[in-house]
Amino acid sequence: MTSSGNAPGGFSFDNVIRNSMLQQKGYAPPTARKTGTTIAGVVFSGGVVLGADTRATSGPTVFEKNCQKIHYIADSIMCCGAGTAADTDATTQLISSQLALHSLATRRAPRVATALNMLKQMLFRYQGHISAALVLGGVDFHGPHLYTVYPHGSTDRLPYVTMGSGSLAAMAVFESKYKEDMTADEAKQLVYEGISAGIFNDLGSGGNVDLCIITKEGKELIRGYAKENERKYRRPAGYIFPHGATPVIAGSEQFKGPEKGFSVVAEVAPAQDTMDVSA
Amino acid sequence: MGESDYSFSLTTFSPSGRLVQIEYALNAVTAGATALGIKAKNGIVLATEKRLPSALMAEDSVQKVSMITESIGLVYAGMGPDSRVLVKKARKAAQAYARIYKEVIPVGQLVREVASVMQEFTQSGGVRPFGVSLLVAGFDDEGPQLCQIDPSGSYYAWKASAIGKNMVNAKTFLEKRYSDDIELEDAIHTAILTLKEGFEGQVTESNIEIGIIGEDKVFRTLTPADTKDYLTELE
Amino acid sequence: MSILEYNGGCVIAMAGKDCVAIASDHRLGVQLTTVAMDATRIFPMHDKLYLGLTGLMTDITTLDQLFRFRLEMYEMRENRKIKPKTFSNLVSSTLYGKRFGPYFSEPVIAGLDKDNKPFLCSMDLLGCIAEADDFAVAGTCAESLLGTCETFYRPNLEPEDLFETVSQSLLAALDRDCISGWGAVVHIITKDGVTTRELDGRMD
Repeated sequence: MTSSGNAPGGFSFDNVIRNSMLQQKGYAPPTARKTGTTIAGVVFSGGVVLGADTRATSGPTVFEKNCQKIHYIADSIMCCGAGTAADTDATTQLISSQLALHSLATRRAPRVATALNMLKQMLFRYQGHISAALVLGGVDFHGPHLYTVYPHGSTDRLPYVTMGSGSLAAMAVFESKYKEDMTADEAKQLVYEGISAGIFNDLGSGGNVDLCIITKEGKELIRGYAKENERKYRRPAGYIFPHGATPVIAGSEQFKGPEKGFSVVAEVAPAQDTMDVSA
Repeated sequence: MGESDYSFSLTTFSPSGRLVQIEYALNAVTAGATALGIKAKNGIVLATEKRLPSALMAEDSVQKVSMITESIGLVYAGMGPDSRVLVKKARKAAQAYARIYKEVIPVGQLVREVASVMQEFTQSGGVRPFGVSLLVAGFDDEGPQLCQIDPSGSYYAWKASAIGKNMVNAKTFLEKRYSDDIELEDAIHTAILTLKEGFEGQVTESNIEIGIIGEDKVFRTLTPADTKDYLTELE
Repeated sequence: MSILEYNGGCVIAMAGKDCVAIASDHRLGVQLTTVAMDATRIFPMHDKLYLGLTGLMTDITTLDQLFRFRLEMYEMRENRKIKPKTFSNLVSSTLYGKRFGPYFSEPVIAGLDKDNKPFLCSMDLLGCIAEADDFAVAGTCAESLLGTCETFYRPNLEPEDLFETVSQSLLAALDRDCISGWGAVVHIITKDGVTTRELDGRMD
């Protein structure tokens, strides 16, 4: 334990034996939250455009409608993540932190290739058990760069890439419409169309389109570049419950408020079926 | 550490209760180039002499003011190589904190982490104390903060302080000059004037180094061109 | 059956105007057998920060103790109360540390930050944070809770209105879940303190 009193780095395997015992007894291991995801990126004349949808799922349930899948790596490097949401979050944060240390030690702005190597070496070390499928893009000393990283640690360097369950839909768009030396606006439009194809044709993807444009001059992250799936109707007045509508039970002093030192403003329940809280 | 029977701590009490190794470490600090820090109302300035042993050495290859996180920097007096070990450990401690809390480490916590490393080296086997004192400047939720850490591992917060060769004179000078409502720009001027006091020869943009942090909470080392502008303002 | 459903139970949190609510049921079961009706799943971390834990009760107990330990160490070391957002990051990194042998628990965190603005988030068992500005749910009837919240939630509710809305959202969802229920508790966190009420729910 460090002097900051927290757990040391690295993973802890304390629960593995118990968990596999439970699995043998027929209790299926739970599923983690996934990003069923369409992510993509395109290189244009002066930089890269990254794009992502915003849906996070747990089985067939949409658990988050507007999550951010474009992660920060460095000031001019960003990384889109697909796969197990916790893995993409943690992996990009870890690499971002290592890259910050590297950049301080070398006194140089981080390069995209450095981030790429850190990512692929880490993912390869874990033999695909960290399910992070990534689109890494950014601009450095050598110009714009765009890569994909697979969970096992293999990588591609391409002018236009897609990842995630919606990658086929997005790639169909890119294959038919990509051209070399696009302007920033053309590239944004293309990535938007690709992500949109994923959102509408892949059930694991949905919500809004997020874009991130990185050039030598700087970076612009646009959350909700397109919001084509907003809720159409919401009851204008909302549901209003009169005070006292919810029955509060008597004799519940034992549960009253948190322990020691916390102020309890209102006491629990008088001895009636419903409580008058209108006062 | 301490696994061998012979790796006992070199820092042992003298019969009168002093730890002379720590006092010798402080001597190493006092032999080092002067460094100072001033806390202003809206930021902090760190400054140090950067005099090289030979005119043939490349001045721009030496950096004495280091960034630890975006909003924390430090300067040392004493042994350069020792300071680099501490800078590396400080940066790692800052990142370790950030990985747990996804938040920049508060200045006080960073100072405590670094100070505990320095303390450990006064009590462990097979090691010697660090021959450096550090001035740590940072800007967090609590505002601008300036802390000094000594080889013993003790640390204090200061309004203005100096370490190294000319520290006694520099501190006297700072005591006269300091006011609680000083602005960062004035503090930079005061810092340069303090360095000039005990300086042998002419102060130029290449033989001093200045680090500042203002209300933007971004620590940066001034470029020689920036430093030159401040020197010109003072003429 | 997933191990997350072994003991049953759920937690819901909802944001109001300068206040936030967190509520849970009281059932502790072993699969379909109810063994206790006074189970606690919501734990006060400090007077403006509550932690709700769903899933396997043994892990809930362990995690409560672990987070309380981490929190008290933090408070003593840094001599300040932890911000809800910082706490959620602590929970997240702790859970992710057990990525390959996880605790079977999905947390919900509700609290007020220093400007008394509501903070709430839910997490999966690996610590992936889903921050929300309206409501956050977890547990065996999470899907039902999402449905009731989507319908009943209104922004900027005053504490008393928030109590009714969160209670109705919870009770409606509990009625469609046979491994949650047997009464419920609601905590309303405001800048002046915490109001705690026991709800009269179905006992079947």
